[in-house]
Amino acid sequence: MGTRSERDFRRPSPEDIEGWMQKAFDMARAALDSGEVPVGCLMVHSNQLVGKGGNEVNETKNATRHAEMVALDQVLEWCRLEGRDHSEVLPQTVLYVTVEPCIMCAAALRLFHIPLVVFGCKNERFGGCGSVLDIPGDDLPNTGTAFECISGFRAEEAVEMLKTFYKQENPNAPKPRVRKD
Amino acid sequence: HFKMEFPRCKRRRSADTEPVSWRVLPVLSDEQCQDTQLLDAYAAPIADKRQTSRLVRALATVYPMAGLQHIKRVRARKDPGSPHPLEIIVCLVRDLPATGDERGKSIAELLSSADVDTSALGEPFLVKIPASPPLTRPQFELASKHWPTSFHEDKQVTVALRGDLFTPGEKAKMQGFMETAIAAARAGQREGMQPVGGVIVDPQTERIVAVGHDCSQGAHPLQHAVMVCIDLVARAHGGGAHQYKYAHCKFSEAGSPPRLRNGSALGLEVKGNVDELEPNALPYICTGCDLYVTREPCVMCAMALVHSRIGRVFYGAASLDGALGSRYKIHTQKGLNHHFDVFKGVMEQECEDLISKPS
Repeated sequence: MGTRSERDFRRPSPEDIEGWMQKAFDMARAALDSGEVPVGCLMVHSNQLVGKGGNEVNETKNATRHAEMVALDQVLEWCRLEGRDHSEVLPQTVLYVTVEPCIMCAAALRLFHIPLVVFGCKNERFGGCGSVLDIPGDDLPNTGTAFECISGFRAEEAVEMLKTFYKQENPNAPKPRVRKD
Repeated sequence: HFKMEFPRCKRRRSADTEPVSWRVLPVLSDEQCQDTQLLDAYAAPIADKRQTSRLVRALATVYPMAGLQHIKRVRARKDPGSPHPLEIIVCLVRDLPATGDERGKSIAELLSSADVDTSALGEPFLVKIPASPPLTRPQFELASKHWPTSFHEDKQVTVALRGDLFTPGEKAKMQGFMETAIAAARAGQREGMQPVGGVIVDPQTERIVAVGHDCSQGAHPLQHAVMVCIDLVARAHGGGAHQYKYAHCKFSEAGSPPRLRNGSALGLEVKGNVDELEPNALPYICTGCDLYVTREPCVMCAMALVHSRIGRVFYGAASLDGALGSRYKIHTQKGLNHHFDVFKGVMEQECEDLISKPS
């Protein structure tokens, strides 16, 4: 809670944004090449990588272990190891992700007071940053802090990777079938 | 780790006592609870009622009232002493060219461009008619005050809105589960956490799969009670992402995977039928399970329940930014691929007291 202006978040430069998104796309590409969900997700504090997540839904059997949630855990761990207070680090940390965060992750980012999220393509099924709901912008006085989004960053490339992934035989993906009724 | 043994005595005790004092009510979609929207229309008395069916056919051709199939074109006049017992809707105000003056139109003006014999119609007057078909009995009763509408009643919804969907025996069982959630909330509070607790139950076997409480005041701000419960269910299935050092965050080893309940009692469109998934499609581990939680989940937790394919949610107290009724209705959200039934009010007072009267 509280207002963002008090914390004077230092925005990354366009070159920094470009550079970190390049790394997120590299990560997504590497995931695709090894048969995993092609989502790249990085958390950056003062131009330093503090968290990096891939989707861990299958190994944890926990459907909430999206890349963003894994990365947020890593930021907490980074704070612990560095002896930093996460309530000071998180409002200065940017999330770079190749796909729009879902509603759950968007709410988690609010609860963590993340000020800025840069993402690639939209997530029409679950997207919480404009596609299904607008969690960063909605008036939610008891759910952390509103945040800013920069969307559409190399969106076509991000979509292409997802399409390629879902075209491959994925034993863990729900098999679409014709409804019986 | 914490394997659990659940005190069964508590549940039995509450099942044997007096009927519960709280009401469990459904949290319906906005479409099911909103006030009926109304449209302005012109109606006119039918002076010669033998002309009624001809007028219905003629007006349906000139002014078909598309999308308003629920509206009965003709109504019986409320005043029994009236010389003209029937009235018919001529057209919607929006069907006419806008003139700024909507009152005092004659029948000739309303039907100026049409070849309809209007001799059997009296002076037109303005009425309000319901814009959409009623989905619930309260909506139907309200709509019918304005103009007769047809209503395809979903009896389950009607019963649920009366608070009678569950038998006293079922409510006693619910109370037992919510008492376990409240006990977890109190235990969490003693550890310095928010007083919120939850229980995930397989309703087929009435077995508790996981119990948890809020852990967000410790090392991890996102460990709300629901997130903890979901992760404990994952641990029960041999997965899980976190360790919980608290005695009241625990799970029981999973038995056979729970089966999906057959659809929604509350008229929701239920997608994501389990038959469409691989038989061991992980990690939809909450499929068919019920969650009892003392406080309405936030939007993060509500969406986590969608991802986990929860079957039903029962909560006690509403919360300000709550996402299962108060601020959002994630369980009925259009565009999402899993919908589920939500009920509120289970031990509402005791759940409110957790927040307002800390122990």
